Amino acid sequence: MAVIEVMDLRKRYGDLTVLDGVSFSVEEGEIFGILGPNGAGKTTAVECVEGLRRPDGGSIRVLGLDPVGNRRALCEQVGVQLQHTQLPDNLKVWEALDLYASFYPKPGDWRELLVEWGLQDKRDTRFGKLSGGQKQRLFIALALVGNPRVAFLDELTTGLDPQARRATWALIKRIRATGVTVVLVSHFMDEVEELCDRAAIFDQGRIVALDTPAGIVDEIDADHEMRFTLMAGELADLTDLTGLPGVARVTRTGDRVVVTGRGDFATAVTAQLARHHVLVSDLRIDKRTLDDAFVALTGRPLE
Amino acid sequence: MKIMMKLAVVEVKLLTREPGAIFTLLIPLFILVVFGSSIEPGDTVLLPMALAIAVGLVGLYLLPTTLATYRERGILRRMSTTPVRPANLLAVQVLLQLVLALTTCALLITVAGTVLDARLPTAVGRVAVTFLLGTGAMFAVGLLIAALARNGRTANGVGVLLYFPMAYLAGLMQPTDQMPQLLARIGEYTPLGAFRQGMHQVWADTTPSPVLLGVLAAYAVTISAVAARYFRWE
Repeated sequence: MAVIEVMDLRKRYGDLTVLDGVSFSVEEGEIFGILGPNGAGKTTAVECVEGLRRPDGGSIRVLGLDPVGNRRALCEQVGVQLQHTQLPDNLKVWEALDLYASFYPKPGDWRELLVEWGLQDKRDTRFGKLSGGQKQRLFIALALVGNPRVAFLDELTTGLDPQARRATWALIKRIRATGVTVVLVSHFMDEVEELCDRAAIFDQGRIVALDTPAGIVDEIDADHEMRFTLMAGELADLTDLTGLPGVARVTRTGDRVVVTGRGDFATAVTAQLARHHVLVSDLRIDKRTLDDAFVALTGRPLE
Repeated sequence: MKIMMKLAVVEVKLLTREPGAIFTLLIPLFILVVFGSSIEPGDTVLLPMALAIAVGLVGLYLLPTTLATYRERGILRRMSTTPVRPANLLAVQVLLQLVLALTTCALLITVAGTVLDARLPTAVGRVAVTFLLGTGAMFAVGLLIAALARNGRTANGVGVLLYFPMAYLAGLMQPTDQMPQLLARIGEYTPLGAFRQGMHQVWADTTPSPVLLGVLAAYAVTISAVAARYFRWE
């Protein structure tokens, strides 16, 4: 069942078109990524879905509700972590959780969240004294304290060091395990590849790709390379490889072989090598990533 | 109602952890005690001055700084994603600052009446009306600063910057009879000046001038309307 349905969403600020006909749907229980460079319209789209902004056109349904018309009913069922928000510096961790829990009709037990998100030692610490990672964990806990069915997390790991980012990723996977649908806004490709079941890539107010991260990568029509070294004593009939599906070119320099092709040609190549009892070493396949996909889709790298 | 109470409890805690709040309490008290040693028994000037300083500090400094900081830090915006509207937080803040102003004034009156032997007015109703109108006018100015300032620092700066000329014109820096006549005259029609003058009149047990009360009411209504018009939640 789709918990979020967005059809032909449009938003302009003056002469600037921020969203130019965006459509996507998010299924129950998945982690859905919204990916793209800064200024691509990601946050605007999510804020329209959250009901914080009023779109100029298109339709949005979240849990069957209109985010503008049924604002209050929707707010009771979604949890939000916003970009660039803070709490008062002198507010203690437990006070923030206790206060936000009181806003919802059926809140979760914030003491459990405190333990779950590794903040029990920081219970009485003031917000201003928390580290970046601790603040981020508190914001996630606050987004979950109302027992939401959908959680929106915007640029969750921006500003965190690599270790804290990885720790946060592990926690996001735990949210999904509880059955909460997660919408993750990010401009980090690796984050989306690691976490998301499906993702939409935004560029200049449009969605340029929407699939699983692997699906997006597979769809891009670009050559990539597989390299290996023939082991001494083995003779390979390399003409055999050129005829394999997806293989475009085979070049050999001494024992060093480079196979260029498209799609999943590497599997066919390794099978063929095995069939001819050719032993290779130093095998490398250029793994294409969402970064490559982004370049292929938009013609420029993600900054 | 339960939510409002919870918000109020949290905001009271935050206020007690805020050094600025203590200063707005201590500054007028300090002025009252320092100058209070040389007043005549039955003085009707010093205490209204101290009360005007107290309300002026809360209205021009504490209120706008707090509200603008809440907006700047996205606290109002974050709250608007919950089932509770951020307007509730604003309402709680304004009420709380009013309670703070009242508490400070009660403390000042107690100290002045007992230790310093200053005159206390008998017409409680007139005191209440003048106090509320004056506080309304000062809070309206504070809300306007909060509405227009981009962030907490700007609000703080504007509040302090406005406080000194307003305090001077209101006769809080030197008695009005030592000021140039024109400035003293203008000062009577500023929010803080009208407030001090009105309080001085009720302290002397005369009926406060309807013009002064009208001036205060007009400031309270028009400035808050402008503030409401320009207030931004984010």
